[in-house]
This record gives sequence, C-alpha cells and structure tokens, in this order.
Amino acid sequence: MNDTEIIEKAKALLGDAILEASNPALRRIFLTVDPKDLVRTVEVLKKELGFAYVATISGLDSGENFEIIYHFGKPSSQLNLRTRVPKSNPHIESICAVIPGAILYERELQDMFGLVVDLIPDSRRLVLPDDWPAGNYPLRKDWKYERPVEKIPGGKS
Amino acid sequence: MKFTVPIGPQHPALKEPISLRMTLDGEIIRDADIRLGYNHRGLEKLAEEKTWLQNIYLTERICGICSHSHTTCFTQGAEKLLEVEPPRRGLYVRFLIAELERVHSHLLWLGVAGHEAGFDTFFMYTWRDREVVMDILEILSGNRVHYSINTLGGVRRDVDELQKKKVLDSLDVLRQRSEYYFKIGATEPSFVARIAGVGRLSKEDAVALCAVGPTARASDIPQDVRKDDPYGVYAEVPFEVCTADTGDVLGRVVVRVKELMQSYNIIEFLLKNLPDGPIAVRSPRRAKPNEVVSRYEAPRGENIHYIKSNGSDKPERLKVRAPTLANYPATVAMLKNGYIADIPLIFAAIDPCVCCAERAVALVDGRSGQENVVLMSELRKQAQERWKKAPLKKDAVWPF
Amino acid sequence: MLEKVVRWSRKKSPWILHLNSGACNACDIEVVAALTPRFDVERLGVLLKATPRHADVIISTGPVTRQIKDRIIRIYEQTPDPKFVIAVGACAMSGCVYRGAYNIMGGLDQVIPVNIYVPGCPARPDAILDGVVKLLGTL
Repeated sequence: MNDTEIIEKAKALLGDAILEASNPALRRIFLTVDPKDLVRTVEVLKKELGFAYVATISGLDSGENFEIIYHFGKPSSQLNLRTRVPKSNPHIESICAVIPGAILYERELQDMFGLVVDLIPDSRRLVLPDDWPAGNYPLRKDWKYERPVEKIPGGKS
Repeated sequence: MKFTVPIGPQHPALKEPISLRMTLDGEIIRDADIRLGYNHRGLEKLAEEKTWLQNIYLTERICGICSHSHTTCFTQGAEKLLEVEPPRRGLYVRFLIAELERVHSHLLWLGVAGHEAGFDTFFMYTWRDREVVMDILEILSGNRVHYSINTLGGVRRDVDELQKKKVLDSLDVLRQRSEYYFKIGATEPSFVARIAGVGRLSKEDAVALCAVGPTARASDIPQDVRKDDPYGVYAEVPFEVCTADTGDVLGRVVVRVKELMQSYNIIEFLLKNLPDGPIAVRSPRRAKPNEVVSRYEAPRGENIHYIKSNGSDKPERLKVRAPTLANYPATVAMLKNGYIADIPLIFAAIDPCVCCAERAVALVDGRSGQENVVLMSELRKQAQERWKKAPLKKDAVWPF
Repeated sequence: MLEKVVRWSRKKSPWILHLNSGACNACDIEVVAALTPRFDVERLGVLLKATPRHADVIISTGPVTRQIKDRIIRIYEQTPDPKFVIAVGACAMSGCVYRGAYNIMGGLDQVIPVNIYVPGCPARPDAILDGVVKLLGTL
C-alpha cells in the first residue's frame, strides 16, 4: 500500500478522529488526533493497517501545549501520530496495553517533561539520577541551568 | 523465596555502566530490572544551543563505535530542512565510510562474543583484523574513530586512485581471513554448543517488544531500514537482508557474519562505480520552520532522529533514539528463565552500545533475602567453569 | 633495601583497572585495543584487572555524570595505596563537547585527584601507552 492509500483507509476507519493528515515526503505520513482518541487510533493502526512497531515517542514543548509524536514504522512506509496536551493538565494515556514495547519511551517522557502517563505499568525514573531534585523537568523551554563554578586543581581560583 | 542481586556500574571488561537487579531462584533468573542513567549526558538540551554545523560534531560523540551513523542520520535530516541536495559522489563516499564502519563494528562484536564465551584466541584474531580496517579508515579520513567526514551538503574529503587501490587490496585480505574464521567457528563444536539455545527470543515477543537490528533479524523478522525505507544510495546498490530463524545467540552470530560478507560486496560495488563530480555543495545557514524524521540502519539496529526547526540557525528540538535502547525490553525477556552464568553472553549478544556499560550484578537470593555483590568477571569465570563441564551438544547445527 | 625491591616491582608491572564514567566508548575501545596484538601493552607487564582491590593504576575515561560520582569516589577509596590515576581523553580532562550540560560535573579532577592527563578525542592507543610509560618514569 502506498502513502495515499494508507491515509484514505485510515480516514475511512477512524472518520472524525483524524483532525489533520499530511504527506510531506515519500514514505512520511503525519496524522493528528485528540488525546481521547489516542488508544483507539493505535489499535486500528496496529490491527488494520499493520503498524505494530513503535520506533520512539518524542515530546515537544510548544508554548502552552505539549506535543507528543508517536513514530510508527512498517516495510514501505512510516507514519507519525501527533497529539496535543495542554500544559495545565498534562495527562495522556499509555499505549502499553496495545504495544508493550513503548514502555521505556513513556518513562522518558515522564522524566524529561513532567507529563503524567496514566495506566503506565511501571512508572519509575528512567534516565535522571537518583538525587535529582523533584519538579525539575529539563526539556521544558523555561528550565534554565546555572553551572556551579569549577575548581581547577593547581590553578587560580 | 526470591533472591535479588544488584549488578552495579563498575565492571572490568568493555562496555559502559548500567545497573541491573536480577531476582533469582537458585541459579535461574526469574526477573530482571535495568537502571539506566549513568550515561545520561543531557545531549538533547545541549543541541538546542548549538548551530547546525556544531551539532554534527556533537551528535558524533554520542557513541564511539557507531559515530558515523549518528552524524549521517542527523545530516540527512538537516539537509532536508535546509533544502540542499548533496552530489552523487559525495553520497557514495559517505556510504563507503558507513559500510566500513559496519565492518569494524561487527568484527569488534565477534571478538567480544568470543571473549564472553571463553574463546580468547578468536578475540585476538578478529581485533587484529579490525586494525586493517582502522588503517583504511585512517587513510581515508584522518582518524581511527570519529571520522567527522560529513558536512552539510556533502563530505569533506575525497577518495583518490591510490586510496581506492589500497582499499580494494585490503578488502581481499579481509575476505580471505573472514572466511577462514567462519569455517573454524562453524566446525568448532564447543563454541557452537556454548552459544546455541542461550537467550532465546521468540518471534511474537520480538514483534511485541519492538526489537531492532540483528536481534530482531535473528528471530526471523526481515526488518532492515536499508530495504524498507531506502535512503542515500541504497536504492541502487544490490544487497540482501540477512535473517536466521533460531532466535538465540547463535542466530545473532550467523546474522552478523552474513552481514559482514554483504558489506564487503557493497564496498566493492561502491568503489568500482564511483561517479565523478564535486563532493559537496554550499548550504544556507538558516532553515525554514519544518520538521523531519530521519532513519538509518546502524550496525546495531535502527537509529531514528526527529528534528524540528523554527527559522533560525539552531534546531528547536532534536530527539535521538539509539538502537540499543529499543532492545532493552527484549533483553529483559531474554534473561528470564536463563542461568546467571549466561548473563554476560546474553548482554553481549544484543551488542550494547550507548546506554550500556560496565555492570556489576547484585544477586538477591529469593530464599533468604541476602544481598551479595558479584563482579561480572567472577560471573564470567563461573560461566567458563560451567561450560567446561557441560555435555557436548553434538546435535547443535550451524545454520549457515 | 626492601624499599628498593618494592619500588622496582611496582615500576615493572603495574596492574590497571579500567573505569568508564559515562563516556561515548571511543576511548574505551582504544584502551582495549592497546591489549591487542598490534600495540600489545602486556609486554610491559600491564595486566587488566577486574576489581579495584587488585589494581595499582586507575585508567578512567569519560566526563563525570552526576549519577556515577558517588560510585567513582567509592571505587577510588577501595583501591589500596599507593595508587595513581590516569585521565584518558578530552572528556576526562574537561568535559569535551559536553561542558555546560545539566548532568555533567566536568572533568575527572573535579572528583578525584589525577596524576596524568592523556589528551585526544579519542586518544590513540600509542598515546595511552606513552602516558603509562611516563607515569612509570616518575616512580
């Protein structure tokens, strides 16, 4: 199936759930859905369209929303599913019930952005150190870091 | 009762620090848990403050063994955002270095697998041949690791006739030696018996847990970005996707060996059909607001970069997912119901790179709740003792 | 008299411990490549040991991340005296490209005292051998 066929079939199966669809380059499809339709869309993508492989999940801080993009892949095509979550209520549902391999990427979203993933099977910290002060989410745009002054052994300081 | 053993970050052999906690029942592992973060360097935040050209040097240092794969993936994406198209000769040189990197990475891995299985002679032989590849890379690019041959719009150095001849001669030497080793490895019953049946991963598990690279290909899934989503020159170069159907460490060795032979063929094709022309074009400094997803087949699996630009000369967001991270859930599934003595071998089989490093294993005894820290080297010694006494599996067949 | 024998044996056969504190692996591969038949550091009597309790020299690569800082200090204290530390690579000297990141403390000398610095990104195996020999010369 080439790209236009995939988009048409997705629109036929999901109807209004797809807010936008675009195909900017060969084998790159971008779809946008609402957070409430997310798990249903992922199930349809896995069972009817054959996208059972999640490459990664990227988070973006765009002003007053968080954008979360799920990158799927299958032979001969690659699809990216985008949803937007407001910063005032950063909750999103987990897709681990449908695709168990997405667990590590969702844990990283929780660490880096402070998003809360509901129904996640395992919500421990992934990459930040154990003594990291809580409430600091490094990849948010408004988080700045003050470097402590280094002591140079044998130098003037 | 369950015994949990923590394996801490310092370990004598190669690899980087990660921490594992295994729950045991006697000698069999019931559950495993991985703690990453020892190697987290905050790269995605740093990348937002550097320009496109500086980011090429930053992404190169994500990993030392597959450094060219990260720069090529990033440069491909950045070139799409900046709307430049590199010339064909530049693309051929770029992917020539990429295949040479695949050869060196697989030879390195074969040595490590031999070392973990107790076959140290194999380790020394393959690393001696790896030096031949490092010499070629030094002649072509100036450095043994971190070649930094990519730039926005093409490559920085050209290949002339003398270098071409030297590479083709070394390729003959490498081919001959590789075939000799694989004949020895295939007919050496103790080596094959040690690694057959260890770390089994079924096809359904591999699909559900999103495994990539040779780990997935050894479970009979023909997934290779060079064929699924051809980038660069791979649409014109003839090669095959290598799979095996046993799903254990033996299958992974077979897949990597087959890929080595395919890479030699690709390198020869690229050198013999090198087109003429310039090697780079000028590229603008700023990119229009857009987003791009760039995929690349690194020696360990699929490497994916997501880049978003906002009209200035720095990226707005760079997201990197290295292939080893995708193989971690599959590793946990492989470790369950395995023996402690097989831990080093199973870990080496996924070819750990970025997030993997030294590990000390802490074994927690399920029965008494006592903790006991064991070094990986001691585990390896136990592994070697165990296979010396194990019966010879005379019916293990090399599916080559 | 015993002093002289002890000093001679230390100089002739240092045992090393290889520590990776969050590096990109390039320097580590070069350290291991120093053991392979092309460069062969074992002819100088150097042996790669598994545990800090047996080691004389700690060879460390990589910038120090926040998570591994306590572990490095613990390993340094577990190594018996006299001990020497070699910092290999530009990352262990000052942080290389990662300076300024939120999880990096800087070079190795922010955490433990260092005797020899070997520059390079990555440092070639010949340079690492040269560093080890210079260290032995100061004993």
